[in-house]
Formats: sequence, C-alpha cells, structure tokens
Amino acid sequence: MFNKILIANRGEIAVRVIKACKELGIPTVAIFSTVDRNSLHVQMADEAVLVGPPAPLESYLNIDSIISIAKKLKADAIHPGYGFLAENPAFTERCEKEGIVFIGSDSKSLALVGDKIQSRETMQRAGIPIIPGMKGSSKDINEFKKEAKQIGYPVILKASGGGGGKGMRKVRSEDELESSISAGMREARSAFGDDSVYLEKYIEHPRHIEFQVLADKFGNAVHLFERECSIQRRHQKIVEETPSVALDDSLRKKMGETAVKAIMAANYSNAGTVEFLLDEDKNFYFLEVNARIQVEHPITELVVGVDLVKAQIRLAAGEKMFLKQDQLKQRGHAIECRIYAEDPENNFLPCSGKILFMKEPTGPGIRHDCGIYTGFEVSVYYDPILSKLVVWAEDRPTAARRMLTALSDLTVLGIKTTTGFLKDVVSHSDFLEGKTTTDFIPRNFTDWKEKEDNKKYLNQALIAAAIMSQNKFVSKGQAVEQESYSPWQALGKWEIGMRN
Amino acid sequence: MEHEFKIQDKTYKLKIESKGNSYKIELDGKRYDIDAELISSNSISFLMDGQALTAHLAERDGKFLVNINGESFCIEKPEEKKRKNFAGEHTHVGEKNFVSTPMPGKIVKISVKVGDEVRKNQTLVIVEAMKMENEIKSPIPAKVKKINFKEGDLVDTGQPIVELEPKE
Repeated sequence: MFNKILIANRGEIAVRVIKACKELGIPTVAIFSTVDRNSLHVQMADEAVLVGPPAPLESYLNIDSIISIAKKLKADAIHPGYGFLAENPAFTERCEKEGIVFIGSDSKSLALVGDKIQSRETMQRAGIPIIPGMKGSSKDINEFKKEAKQIGYPVILKASGGGGGKGMRKVRSEDELESSISAGMREARSAFGDDSVYLEKYIEHPRHIEFQVLADKFGNAVHLFERECSIQRRHQKIVEETPSVALDDSLRKKMGETAVKAIMAANYSNAGTVEFLLDEDKNFYFLEVNARIQVEHPITELVVGVDLVKAQIRLAAGEKMFLKQDQLKQRGHAIECRIYAEDPENNFLPCSGKILFMKEPTGPGIRHDCGIYTGFEVSVYYDPILSKLVVWAEDRPTAARRMLTALSDLTVLGIKTTTGFLKDVVSHSDFLEGKTTTDFIPRNFTDWKEKEDNKKYLNQALIAAAIMSQNKFVSKGQAVEQESYSPWQALGKWEIGMRN
Repeated sequence: MEHEFKIQDKTYKLKIESKGNSYKIELDGKRYDIDAELISSNSISFLMDGQALTAHLAERDGKFLVNINGESFCIEKPEEKKRKNFAGEHTHVGEKNFVSTPMPGKIVKISVKVGDEVRKNQTLVIVEAMKMENEIKSPIPAKVKKINFKEGDLVDTGQPIVELEPKE
C-alpha cells in the first residue's frame, strides 16, 4: 500500500479522497492555491502545501509544481479527483516517469479514451454499438454536408477533444450546418485548444445511462450497475439516480457486459465510467469512457455498498480485483443533487462570496459531500460546485421525498445556490413518474423563476427580519456585545425541570 | 419602530414594538403577537399563532438573507441601502463612485486611462464572463481617478474596477 497520497484537487472531491485515505490509514498531502488557504481540504489533510496563484494553470494544473511537491514530501501516489489533471495523459505519463503512482488508468489508455474519434473506432472494432456518425474530423464543409445527408438530420456537432457540452450544437438542416461548424470550431479551440469537430446522428429524447466499472491491472473487471444522469442543464448533469427506471434486468445485464467489454477494449484499469445514450426504443449507444472518479459516484456507493475511492486506491496499488460480478447487487434507490453556487434568477451565472451561515441536512439515508463551511469564501476561479446532496431510501418515491426534505434542510446564506431550483426539479410530476430524458430541463424549466411572493413563509421572513433589526437596535442602545451572544441568555424565562 | 422592507419590487411596511422576548408586530394591517428568542447570532426561534418556527438570517450590504423551512428570501432595507444604480443594468456605482461588474469574470479590455474625461454611458471596461462580453459603462460624466486592475485580471462582483470623480 502507499506511504502517502497527494491529492491534486480541491473542494468537495479533495475532502472525499482525504476521508478515504484516513480510513485506509494513509497520510495525505493537500495542495492549495493562494485563495484556497482556508479551504476544507487544507484543514483536513495531514500536510498542506501552497501550490501557486489562483489561476488553475499556475496551481491545480501546474504539473511541475505538483510533481515537485510530491517528491519533496515523499508522496508515492497522486489522486487527481475529477476535473483538473484527472484525464490528462501528459500528467499521467509524467507520474509514470517520476515513479509516482497515478491513481487512475495508465497514460496510454487515457490518451485513447480521451480522444472521442479514436475511442469510437476502438469501440466499433470491439463490436460495441456506437451512434451513426462521421469516422473522423474534417476541415472540408462539403464532407460535413455529405456525411450529414447520409446520417440524416437532425445531427449533432461535437468537439473531438471535448466534454461538458462545449462545442456541441444541434443542427436541424443543411442551411444551419456551415455556421454551426464555424461556431463549434471556435468554441472547441478556446475550450480545448483543438478545433476538430465531427458529426453524429442526433437522438431524440434520449436518456443518459452510464455504467460504473472497476478494473485491476491484470485484465479483470466488474461493473457496479448503472447511473441515470438524464437531468442536465447546458449538457451538465445536475441530478443523478440509480437504478434507472428505464432498465429491466436483461437490458441492465446486457449494458453492463457491454460496459465491461468497452473498458477491456481500451486496456483501461482502475475506476472508469462508460456512458451510453438510450433511445426511446431501448437501443443503447456508446458515448464515451470517463476516465476518473465521477462527481456522481456516491449514488453507486450507497446502492451497491462499495467505497469507490478506496477501491481506486487499492487497485492502483496493484491489488487484484476483490469483487465478484455475481456477488454485486443493487439495494434500494439513491439520488444525488449537485449544489452549485449559481444564481437561478440571473441565468444560472456562477456567483462568489462569503458564506455567512450554513446548516447541513442530516438524518437517515442522507449524505452530504461538502467542500464549504460557514465563513468560507467561494472564489471566482474554479468550478462553482459547492457540495453534493445524496440520499438513499428503500425505493424511488421515498428517495425523491427524502431528497426534497434534505434540500429544504440545507441552508446556505450569503451566496446564491441552486437549491430552490432543485427542489422544483425533484418534485416535478415528470421526475416523479420517471419521465427523465435529457430534454427534461428545457422541456419543463425554461424561464424558471423562484417566485418570492408565492412563498409560504413570506410574512414570517419579514417578521424575522424586523425582529433582528429591532434586536440590533436595542442591543446598540444598551451597548450589548452581540458577538458574544450566549444561548443561555435566551433561556431566561425557563427554569430547569419546569415548564411554563 | 417602523421598518420598510423590499422583496424584489414589492414594499412591505412593518411596525414593531418589543418588550423582552415579546413582540407586537403590524404587517399589512394585521397584528401579530410573537414570542421570539435568538438561539444563535444567525437563528431566531419564534412562536407565531401558536406555531414555533426557526428562521436563519444573515445580513450583508443592507440586505437580510432569510431562510425558513428551506424557503429563501432576500429582504432589502431601502432606508439603509445607500448604493444606487444610476445607469444601465450593467453598471453598479456606489457612493464611492466606481464601476464594477455584475458577474465575476476576466477583464478583456480597459478603454480608458487615469485622468481621462469620460461621457455618461462611455464604455470603460469590457469584462468577459461565461464567454459573454459585458461592456461596463460610465454612469455619469466623470474624470477617471484610479484603475485598480489590468487587462487579463479576474474580477469579482462588486469590486471597484475603475474609480471615478464626478464632474459637476
């Protein structure tokens, strides 16, 4: 096992990885940029080292600095979390050269699955169903026109080196094609430094179904069933659940076996996710392999009962596969909501600021993977994800109700969050009926607005504000120190053992 | 004591009298007798119509941020709100006379230098956020007093980018 693990990430996922290391008894090193000095992951790790200025390229993406910190502190493994350097073959290769274990797959398989066109070809050769589309990228508009005609409109334009919806565009007809291609190429270049784009058949009302796979370094792999991540905004997942209502046992088995085959075809090891689109006739198509621990991994952990981060560490350390496919079972239902620092009233633009007060939900079946606390300053430099609220219950309707309660119990003051929006999502009739396709948000929540005056507790909120103002006024008048307030003072009219 | 609060564009007037933990409140012509206790510097527990409720509150920039049972409210206190929006929605000018960005982003262009005289609505700075360019304009005729950032810098909401000296 490793002597010390460096976590090349920040926020809730860094916290998650540190917790797994603690349980395995492995000391941890956190890295932080200058704005993250007071972050939770810094507080929790055994050692924490400044890696650089706030800009990601100079800190969490700075390969030289990260490697030199790992060597100086004698960390023999690096966990990349998700995002940042998690799927960067150059970083993985560097780790391999420096004799540091990268907790993930090797650089060769990362390079393969990171390239959408190459991985499509590999999967097609392995007999895995892929979405009809172009064999490769092109710079020739006529080739795009020819291909699009052959595939049949509508088609979707995608960036070869991309993810997260950047560069993606739906094209309905030939006269939209040329402008979409130039816009898509511009976006792809600015997001990934590579302007190659390609075309695929656009599938109407699909579901996004992905399978979690674990593989050791000796060619053994198991899948840990599916996650449905159809609820997306701007191609970003916001609500995920498992199991999916769209799968029955035989389809689940078939897709799971296909996912394992895809991982083997890419010679991939460690934790990986195989993404599929499922169309209305229950045909499934390979989308891509996500070569990392994913944001939504906790729902699988709750339903399958396997700690995926610990599994990643054990597999990276060279352990043989310790799970048997026929012993893995799904139990109950889990849902995750991603809590973002975004303003739902201002087109979901990311926001920053100090968290003045926070109260986390607790209770049976509630898990909150969180990277923030009261007093924490959310900065503008990084992904606006604050935390992930995850619930488990014996069945889907109970899980949905539990999520609604948990969202109501999550209080964050001082920064706008997506909590109110998510409450409307998980209580929407389409969600409750399992009508979850990737167009769920545009179909039901275009122009969504939280209505202040339709709220049940409006009067109470106004009254609370008035009481707080009054209290401050009175305190000022009597020169009372409000800061050092003791709850015992408030208990004035109570006496122990007596009710009045 | 009287309070005037604003939520979005609606104004609410409250009258409040207190004695110890007892409050008499008038809101929209209705009277409420309330027993309230501060359970922490951010939480009030109150009894209203026989119902106990807990409100979590925080205060910033003349606003109360309130959460009760998962419902959030942003309550403005107009009497304390000194910052005013003189110009278009893309500009914020405070009593210190500066412009800032309505959303965090990167400064892609600064079109003025210290000492420049600027017209009302003249573009001072362009900030790129989420791949959109936002022109930050001068809300008033003024002289550029100070520039706190350079092109390529990241700015947060409300940070003074260009400080102005109003021209009478």
